[in-house]
Amino acid sequence: MYEIVNDYTTMDKLRILADAAKYDVACTSSGVDRRGKEGFLGNSCAAGICHSFAADGRCISLLKILMSNHCIHDCKYCLNRRSNDVERATFLPDEICKLVIEFYKRNYIEGLFLSSGVLNSPEYTMELICRTLSMLRNKYRFNGYIHVKAIPGAPAELLAQAGLLADRISLNLELPNSESLKKLAPGKSFNNIVKPMASISSTIAAHRVAIGKSPYMERSVINNRLENNIFSKMRIEAATSNSILVPERALDRDLSRPFAPAGMSTQMIVGATQDTDLEMITVSEQLYKSFDLKRVFYSAYVPLNEDAALPEKGTAVPLLREHRLYQADWLLRYYGFAASELLSPERPNFNEAIDPKCDWAVRHLDVFPVEVNTASADVLIRVPGIGPKSLERIFKARRYGGLTFDALKKMGVVLKRAKYFITCGGKMMDRIPIEERFIVNRLTDVDRREVYSISDRTIYRQMSLFDMGMKAVSG
Amino acid sequence: MTVFTCNDDLESMLTCIYDAWYSRLGHSNVRLATEPIEQLNMFDTYIHVEPNTDKAMAVADAINRRISPAFYSEVAFCLGAYEKDALDTVYRVLILGFKLGVGVLDAYGYDEVARFKAIRIRYGREASSFLEFVRFNLVDGVYVAHFEPKSRVLLPVAEHFSDRMPSEHWMLIDDVHKEAAVHPCNEQYYVRILSEEEFARLKATEDYDDGFTALWKIYFTEIAIKERENPKCQLTHFAKWKRKHVTEFA
Repeated sequence: MYEIVNDYTTMDKLRILADAAKYDVACTSSGVDRRGKEGFLGNSCAAGICHSFAADGRCISLLKILMSNHCIHDCKYCLNRRSNDVERATFLPDEICKLVIEFYKRNYIEGLFLSSGVLNSPEYTMELICRTLSMLRNKYRFNGYIHVKAIPGAPAELLAQAGLLADRISLNLELPNSESLKKLAPGKSFNNIVKPMASISSTIAAHRVAIGKSPYMERSVINNRLENNIFSKMRIEAATSNSILVPERALDRDLSRPFAPAGMSTQMIVGATQDTDLEMITVSEQLYKSFDLKRVFYSAYVPLNEDAALPEKGTAVPLLREHRLYQADWLLRYYGFAASELLSPERPNFNEAIDPKCDWAVRHLDVFPVEVNTASADVLIRVPGIGPKSLERIFKARRYGGLTFDALKKMGVVLKRAKYFITCGGKMMDRIPIEERFIVNRLTDVDRREVYSISDRTIYRQMSLFDMGMKAVSG
Repeated sequence: MTVFTCNDDLESMLTCIYDAWYSRLGHSNVRLATEPIEQLNMFDTYIHVEPNTDKAMAVADAINRRISPAFYSEVAFCLGAYEKDALDTVYRVLILGFKLGVGVLDAYGYDEVARFKAIRIRYGREASSFLEFVRFNLVDGVYVAHFEPKSRVLLPVAEHFSDRMPSEHWMLIDDVHKEAAVHPCNEQYYVRILSEEEFARLKATEDYDDGFTALWKIYFTEIAIKERENPKCQLTHFAKWKRKHVTEFA
């Protein structure tokens, strides 16, 4: 056991611990609607609010920091692993609370994202986290959004307490199977992550039932229109096992809050191991179905450490692959696709040249073209270029008469993609041969700019005469 | 063509709709526009309309009663948008609205409805982007924020903050339209149109550095991953014109 003594100021700690937290991708403040209250600070908006965008283009919604970057584990991919020589610091609970309150009042942030390295032991770290959250909620009367990381191996009572104080609780799976996890994170075990995940999921369900809601998390309304979406035949497996978390002080007034109203999320690293996209997306689907996870995040691996088991330092970050995985994740949650429809063991990775939905459509040309004026939601949502919003508009507008391509364009349908797959009043937009190679070529052309912008990120600006060395003449 | 012109506040615009409607010139022979008119046309007649509370109320009442209050709030938001053709579009949609009823806003087949929706969506996006990007500064116990929106979004933005910080003194200042929303602790906020003198005094509040500015700037730089740097993406999400008065870009 060691005591941390250093003379870092809050500014130093913020610098060290924000830097250490940046590889955690989740920074959303969505999933819960909560009105403000007199005497308290803050509210919460279900759509989430981004407050700024950092130089890497990622949104800053929450104050994302670690409680401490000391860690007893030696995970190979992690910057804060025990064997790395980096500056180490630990926040005091009061320091975090003050930062959150003051930042929040200036509208810099929407709330707090609190994670931590494992300081001394999982119990000790989780207790420190819970103490901070309790102070923030009860002493500082903070009513905004809190996302907390559950430390694998922490006792159930502390997880229960954290869930009651926070809005979202997350546990990082990091890798999609136990072999990869064993290889890269020898201190962690798959069971140690999945078990608490199961009990958190059943606790959320139990709390939802207790306040008269459905045990399942709210999903996008578009799923009501889609018959075979992944959530339709879902059941929370964990609910059958007797593993509901109860806080130590069950009748405490400070803890009388809904349990993680914004649900649970997780994160997986992309590109650190040889795992395929099929494995990733199947695991995600499984997590959505059995643990009712609200989100799965994907984090493109940035090579930070030298290790034989990892990609070399300087290897390009697989940003395009991460982008395709997110697209596929959206197809699962908003478009009624199943993982097995998108990829197969023969084609285990996504095509980098065109997006997964177009890729699916060109492989199923027998379904197309569909008639926009009569087709059902299940079919229309699978047309590239039509999303949940435009689908909703199409359905409303169909009540007032036939639709034309012009009207579709005004509704936000992306015709440069959709025109190969739809008819309006029995006619296609142009003379288009329904032929896989032709359509793939055209769609690759449409996507080229996007693919290029992700793989090459130079920025070009309008030149001004002053750039060429001319000086402004005054007087 | 007769063009009815007016100032760009809600009362003037509703009066303008009233006058154009009852001019008996025929809907297709009139056009509505907000001042200043940049390019006058030789073949048009221009009629300036002064605001009149009774006429404006009559229009608002008619929409509320004959269509629906929800439709009226859509119209009011759309009239707050900066687009030059917002007023004329609203007029055309009202003609349809009195004929078809509340469902008219789903009838995308009509050009004017599609345009109305486009303006309304852009207005909504602008308002929600300022919920994100407005930054407060602590000046003598009052949190003060300046921002420069294109449309009149002060009300929806202030509404959000009155829920978010009910027990703080704060003030939101729209530098373009020279209006301010003032919220005393635990009370209802109110909107005030600022005089030149008040505006000049409030302008000085931006020079305060309240100690947390530096901490926020450090956090903002540290949280970006160098290997993923992507200025184009940052620019797409956070346009330059919205960066005025934003702490991290100041």
